[in-house]
Amino acid sequence: MVIAENDLDLINRWKDEPAPLLPVLHAFHDRDGYLSDEALRTISKSLQIPLADLYGTVTFYHHLSRNPGGLKAPRVCTGNICCLHGAHDILQDLKDQGSEATEMPCSGRCDTYVPVLQGHQTLSGTTAQSLQAHPSPLPPDYPGSYQEALFAQIREPGRNSLKNYPFESLEKVLASTPTQIIETITASKLAGRGGAGFPTGLKWKAVADCDRHPKSIVCNADEGEPGCFKDRTLMDYDPFALIEGMIIAGYATGANRGFIYLRYEYPETNALLEKCLAECYQENLLGKDVLGSGFEFQLYLRRGAGAYICGEEGSLLNSLEGKHPFPRNKPPFPVTHGFEDKPTAVNNVETLCAVPKIIQNGPDWYQSLGLGEHAGTKLISLSGDILRPGNYEIPIGLPLKTLLYDWAGGPLEGRSIQAVTMAGLSGGFLGHQILDTLTLDDPCIRSHGSFLGAGGIMVFDDTRDMVKAAHDAMSFFAHESCGKCFPCRIGTQRLTERLGGEIKNLSPENWVTEVNEIGETMKTTSACGLGMAAPHITESLQKYFPEQVAKATQNAFQAP
Amino acid sequence: MINEPNSTFASGPSIKIDGETIFFSEGETIYEVAKRLQKNIPTLCYDERLEAFGGCRLCVVSVEGIRNPVASCTTKATDGMVVQTAPPEIEKMRRTLLELVSSENRDTQPNPLSGFASQELSALVNKYGARNGRFQGAKSGTSNFKDANPFILRDYEQCISCYRCVRVCAEQEGDYAISVANRGFKTQITTEFDHDLRDSDCTFCGQCVQTCPTGALADKKALRSAELPEEIKKTRTVCPYCAVGCSIDLMTKGNKIVGAQPAMKGPANKGALCIKGQFTFDFIQHEDRLKKPLIKQADGTFKEVEWDEALKAAAKGFARAKAKYGRHSVYGIASGRAPHEAAYTMQKFIRAGFGTHHIDNCSRA
Repeated sequence: MVIAENDLDLINRWKDEPAPLLPVLHAFHDRDGYLSDEALRTISKSLQIPLADLYGTVTFYHHLSRNPGGLKAPRVCTGNICCLHGAHDILQDLKDQGSEATEMPCSGRCDTYVPVLQGHQTLSGTTAQSLQAHPSPLPPDYPGSYQEALFAQIREPGRNSLKNYPFESLEKVLASTPTQIIETITASKLAGRGGAGFPTGLKWKAVADCDRHPKSIVCNADEGEPGCFKDRTLMDYDPFALIEGMIIAGYATGANRGFIYLRYEYPETNALLEKCLAECYQENLLGKDVLGSGFEFQLYLRRGAGAYICGEEGSLLNSLEGKHPFPRNKPPFPVTHGFEDKPTAVNNVETLCAVPKIIQNGPDWYQSLGLGEHAGTKLISLSGDILRPGNYEIPIGLPLKTLLYDWAGGPLEGRSIQAVTMAGLSGGFLGHQILDTLTLDDPCIRSHGSFLGAGGIMVFDDTRDMVKAAHDAMSFFAHESCGKCFPCRIGTQRLTERLGGEIKNLSPENWVTEVNEIGETMKTTSACGLGMAAPHITESLQKYFPEQVAKATQNAFQAP
Repeated sequence: MINEPNSTFASGPSIKIDGETIFFSEGETIYEVAKRLQKNIPTLCYDERLEAFGGCRLCVVSVEGIRNPVASCTTKATDGMVVQTAPPEIEKMRRTLLELVSSENRDTQPNPLSGFASQELSALVNKYGARNGRFQGAKSGTSNFKDANPFILRDYEQCISCYRCVRVCAEQEGDYAISVANRGFKTQITTEFDHDLRDSDCTFCGQCVQTCPTGALADKKALRSAELPEEIKKTRTVCPYCAVGCSIDLMTKGNKIVGAQPAMKGPANKGALCIKGQFTFDFIQHEDRLKKPLIKQADGTFKEVEWDEALKAAAKGFARAKAKYGRHSVYGIASGRAPHEAAYTMQKFIRAGFGTHHIDNCSRA
C-alpha cells in the first residue's frame, strides 16, 4: 500500500528552495491527480501567496487541472502538423471510448505524431488504437558535407549517462578566469539560439559586470514554439552538455545558481534531467564546491505547467517566481533585473549546449562553421509534408532547398511544396515563389519580412488549404495570448474569427481592411513578441496566397 | 512634485516632446514628463496611484531611433530623447485599439453614477471617433449579477481587462481579494475559487469601482438613482465617519444624495475610502432618521421633546444612577466619529463629572 505523502511533507520538500511554487503545485497535482481547493488553501498559506492570486495563476496554466482525475485525462496534440495527421479523429475516438480527453497545443513532437500525453507518459500514434510509447527520435544521420557541432556526438550510444560524458570543457574553464571565458564566447559570435539572436558573450558580460547578488543562470527549456523540438532532442540525448554549459555560464558571470525551466509536455525529459542532476551533485559537478574549485553552483529543475508565453523571458521569470506569468515591461532587462530582480542570464538550451563545444574547439572553429560571413550552426526542426522530418544541424547560411530536397528528401511522391513556415509559426509562411532563392540566415529571411527564430520549419505541400493552415496557426496564438495587452488579447481573437470565416456579413474588401489594420496595430503596439509576431501569419498568407484568400472570402466565408 | 503639472526643472537631463524641450528628473517616465507639458496622451490601464502596467498600449509614442513605438507609461525618459506623442500613424492605431476594445463589450456608454473613472472609455471613443460595429466578433467577460452584495455591481461584459481593479486592490488596499483568471480573450476578473465578494477577502472599500474605466465594476447604490432626471452635482466635503478626514465628493441629484466618491487628491485619502465612507450614506435622508430627541415614557412609548428638556432629563437620570449605585456605575464610550476635541470633552465629562475612569472609545473595539 502506498501511503500518500501528507501536505506538510510536500511543502517542506520545496519551501526552502528558490522558486518553490511550481514544484509544490506539481507535487500536490501528482499526489491528488488534480489541484483541490484544499490544496490551494494549504499552498497559499504555506508559501504566503494570496489565495485569489494563486487561484488566478493556477487557471492560467493549461495543464494544471482543477477537476478530480484531470491529471490522468489524455491530452491530444492538435498542433498544426498533428492536425494534418488525424489528431481530431484520435481525440474524438478517445472521447467515444469514454475518456475525458482534451486538446493540447503543439507539444513539441512533430517528429512522432500524434502525441497524446497521459499522466506523465507520452504515447503517440496516428489512430486511437495504435497509441504507444516511442523513444524520442535521434537526429537523422548527418546528410551534409559540412560539420556538425551540437549533434557531432549526440548519436553516440549512452551519451546521456554520466560515465560517457567527460566534462572536459568544465575542467578547462575552471582553470581559466571568468573574463577569459566571456572573451572566448564573444569571439565565437555565438548568439541566442532561442530566436532573439542576442550575442551571448555580450549578455554574459552584462551580468558579470553587475555587482548585485545572487545572480542566476536560467535555461529557457520551455520549447513552446509550434514545430520546434530540437531542445528536447538535445536534452534527451546530450543532457550533460546542457548542464556543463550552465555551470560554465555561472562561472563566467559569477552566478551561483541556475534554473532549467522545462516545458510541461516533456515528462520523460523531466525524469531524465532529474536523474542527471542528482548524479552531478553526487559527483561534485554541482554543489558547494564544483570539482574542488571553490566555485559554488546549485542547479534546480523547474517544470512549467503549460503556457507558451512562459517561453518569453519576462513571463518565464514571473512564472519561476510564482507570480502571474505576464511578460515584464522592458527595460530593465533580465541581465540587470531578472530572477528576483537580480542579474540573470536567460539562455536557450541550444545556446548553452554550444558552449562546451566552443570551449573545447575554440571560438574560431565555431565561427568558421557558418557559411560565408555567417557564424556557427543552427538546429532546425523540420516537420510536415516532407519525406524525412526531424532535427538537422545546418551551417548558418545554408540554402533552404538544400535542406528541403537534398537533406530531407523533398516532398512526398507526386506532390510539391507549397509553403514553409519560419520560426515555428512566429515567422509566418514563405511561399513556393521564393523558396529556391532563400538561405537560412537572418539577413536573408528578414529581407522577406520573416525570421529564423527558434528554427522550426513546417512544410505544407500543394494539397493543403493555406487559409485553414493560417486559421490553425492563429487559433494557437489566440489560445496562448496571455491577456496582458489589448492588441494581442483582442487581435488574436479577431484574426482567428476572420480566418475561420466566422464573421458572416463581412465583405471581402472589409475582410482585408480589418485583418490588415488589426495586424498592423498588433505588430506595432503589442507588449511582447507573441502579439508582434502573430500577424506574420495573415500578412504572409495574403502575400503568397492571394488567390486562396480571395476564394475563401468571396465564397466560403459568405455562405450562411 | 514630480506629478504636479507645470512644475519644471531649471536644469539637468532634458527630452524633446513634440518639438518642445523640457527638463526632467531621473526616474520620470515619458508619460509623466509629457503630462507636465499638458499633453493629453490617452490611457485606459493607467492610474497614477498605481505602478505603470503597460497593458492598454494607447499611450505608445514614437521615439527617434527606436523602431516600434514605446509605451510612454512604462518607459523612462532618457537624456536627449526625441518624442512624438501623436503622429498620425499612432493616432490611427489608437483609434483601432479603441475600436477593438469597444468590439468586445456590450456598449461603451455607462451611466456616470457607475464610478469616478467610469467615463474614461466612452470619452476616448468619442474623442477618437472610434466607429462602433467594426471588428465584430465574440464578446469577452462573463458578468456576475448573482453576486448578492449590496454595493458592487460586477458586469464583466463591460470589462476590458485593464486590471486596474486587481492592481488597486493589491497595491493600494493591500487586500488581494480579486485576481485574473484564465488567459487571453478568456481572461476574467475573479475572486478565490470564483466565489462571491462577501466570501472573499474583499472589504468593500470600493476602490475597484472608482478606478474602473468602463463601469464594469459599478456602484450599485448610486445606480439606484440612475433614472432620476436631474443633473449630477458633486460637492466636496469630509467624510463624517471617523477622524481620518477623508475627502469625498457627495453626489446629489436635486435634493437627493445619490452617492459618494473619494476625492482623488484628498490629502488624507488620495482616492481611498472604506466601506462606510463609500457606501453608507443612506441614513442621511432615511425616513427613520431621528431629527429631534425622544424621551421614553412610563408606558414604553417615546415622546418628541426639545433639546433643553432632553438634556435635563438625561442629567437627572445620570445623577440618580450615581447616587444610587456609586460613581463607578457610569461608563462612557466616545464615538469614533467624534473629532479629538469632542473625545477630550467626553473623557473630561466622565472623569471630572462622575469621578470614574470608566471611559473608552469605540475605535478601540
